[in-house]
Amino acid sequence: MAEEEAEEQQRFSYQQRLRAAVHYTVAGLCQEVASDKEMPFSKQSIAAISEVTFRQCENFAKDLEMFARHARRSTINTEDVKLLARRSNSLLKYITEKSEEIAQFNTEQKAKKKKKLEEGNKTLEAAEVVESES
Amino acid sequence: MADGYSPNSEPTTRTLLRRVLDTADSRSPRRPRSIRAGTQRTLLETPSPRRRSSQRKSTARRHSHGTRSVGRLAHVQASRHLDEQTPRTLLKNILLTVFFTAPESSILVPKSVVKPVPAPPAVQPPRRESSRGSLELQLPELEPPTSLAPGLLARGRRKQRLRLSVFQQEVDQGLPLSQEPPKTADASSLTSSLNLTFATPVQPQSVKRPGLARRPPTRRAVDVGVLLQDLRDTSLAPSGSSLRTPVATLPTDTVLEDTQPFSQPLVGRSPSVHHSLPHPSHNETEDTEKAVDHWTQSSQPGLQNDKVTESVGSQGAVEAEEPDALSDEDSSGRAASPAVASRTPSLLQAGQPPPFLEPTPRPGAAVVSSEPVLARRLPRPRAAGPRPRQDPHKTGLNHYAKLFSFYAKMPMEKAALEVVEKCLDKYFQHLCSDLEVFAAHAGRKTVRPEDLELLMRRQGLVTDQVSLHVLVERHLPLEYRQLLIPCAFSGNSVFPAQ
Repeated sequence: MAEEEAEEQQRFSYQQRLRAAVHYTVAGLCQEVASDKEMPFSKQSIAAISEVTFRQCENFAKDLEMFARHARRSTINTEDVKLLARRSNSLLKYITEKSEEIAQFNTEQKAKKKKKLEEGNKTLEAAEVVESES
Repeated sequence: MADGYSPNSEPTTRTLLRRVLDTADSRSPRRPRSIRAGTQRTLLETPSPRRRSSQRKSTARRHSHGTRSVGRLAHVQASRHLDEQTPRTLLKNILLTVFFTAPESSILVPKSVVKPVPAPPAVQPPRRESSRGSLELQLPELEPPTSLAPGLLARGRRKQRLRLSVFQQEVDQGLPLSQEPPKTADASSLTSSLNLTFATPVQPQSVKRPGLARRPPTRRAVDVGVLLQDLRDTSLAPSGSSLRTPVATLPTDTVLEDTQPFSQPLVGRSPSVHHSLPHPSHNETEDTEKAVDHWTQSSQPGLQNDKVTESVGSQGAVEAEEPDALSDEDSSGRAASPAVASRTPSLLQAGQPPPFLEPTPRPGAAVVSSEPVLARRLPRPRAAGPRPRQDPHKTGLNHYAKLFSFYAKMPMEKAALEVVEKCLDKYFQHLCSDLEVFAAHAGRKTVRPEDLELLMRRQGLVTDQVSLHVLVERHLPLEYRQLLIPCAFSGNSVFPAQ
């Protein structure tokens, strides 16, 4: 019993830390927006926004898990994320662009790695050839 | 329903109910079961004095309508169901008939009523006695019965509904009452009751379930009209011709027979509508006129139906002429209408015979349950036309808005109802697009129950504590499911009951 309580407390404190982290980030973003629009944010509103964000993150996580399971996968995919974001058009566009960028980046990285490998192989072969010749 | 049941033994109640129903038989001029009824009547008279004394007046009043209406409807079910039903279902039958025309039943009742007891109704056999005494109390008392048996009325039997609808049709034709949307509970109860198959007068439950409710024939008029509007609009779209063939080749007959028990009236009409609709697109003006005549001849004898098919024909003619005979001077008058073609009044502008006036505005008040289905079948295959899409959808949502106004328990402005309709429209569009997306997400093209479960999870209806099956059991009792299952398995071609 005591262990369970301790566990719960641990989880709770972990949650609190996460909330604090979210709050910190949200506060930073709100400061940016405030300086942009020249309208300050009250502390309560920042706190409210960060609390809502935290709860939404929980919802998103559950939804993402459901979507992945619905597609009979055990890993959450970019497709799941896109499905999650489909409600808001601008957000969906943004996410698809980002995902395409990432995909491109990945392919470029793979290409680079392949090139390096090939170069490595070539030098090795060249070295072997040289050695064999000599 | 405490009042409904005597604290005494059940068999007594049952026999009493039976007698009530049997006497109802005798009263009705339509069902010649007077022989049986006659014997029962004498039986009735003897226990009545016994019962009368022990009951309160109020409950008697409540059941006042029971016998009255019993006269009409109960006989229908009586013969079939007496031996099968429990007192509860018998009582339900009786109360179901509460809705029936007060004037009609009052005409019927006095005959048998004269005999037995003078007045003040006791309670239990209240159904019998109340009919005698309290004829004048019909209107105001429609309210109390409603509170009695919502639970009972929630279930109906197929056969019972079959007869009910037939009966309702007859009643509708004879009934002077109009079918305006209900503003007050009392007034509406009489009118809406005619449209209901199983609901208390105050609660238009059948309005809730368009697929299950049996609607009076007036609604068919609008269906066809909307259908034609859609078809005309599809003729404007390039994909029009391709659409007509699927419409024509739909196995309407078989589907209708499978899905609804008394779809026969519609079967006769809809195939003629469907099959004749492709005609206009391919015929010249003269042929369309011939087709119109053909339709009018082949249409069913009902006055409305004739008018509807005429309107169908005229709309079809208008439709055909738009793409075909623009240069044709004969059709110039009608061709002028294409600009306004999507409105039913355009029919009138096109110079079609005035009788069209009558069916088209009339169904406006009557909500079309089939419209959403019919309209959705058409708009979905074609991608074009947000405007034609809106009309059938919104008129289809009309009865949902009425339901909303009912549950609001307050009178609602028309503007408010329109806003509600818009919200409902968006909501359903959203819902269906979600289902599509979910199906696509799983790499499928068909929506399956898993998609629905996912949707309900997101809505919060299905949780780890409450599973889908629990919800099904909670909200869809067996009677409803029995009706839904043929709809569900009819290959996605669902037609609402008419």
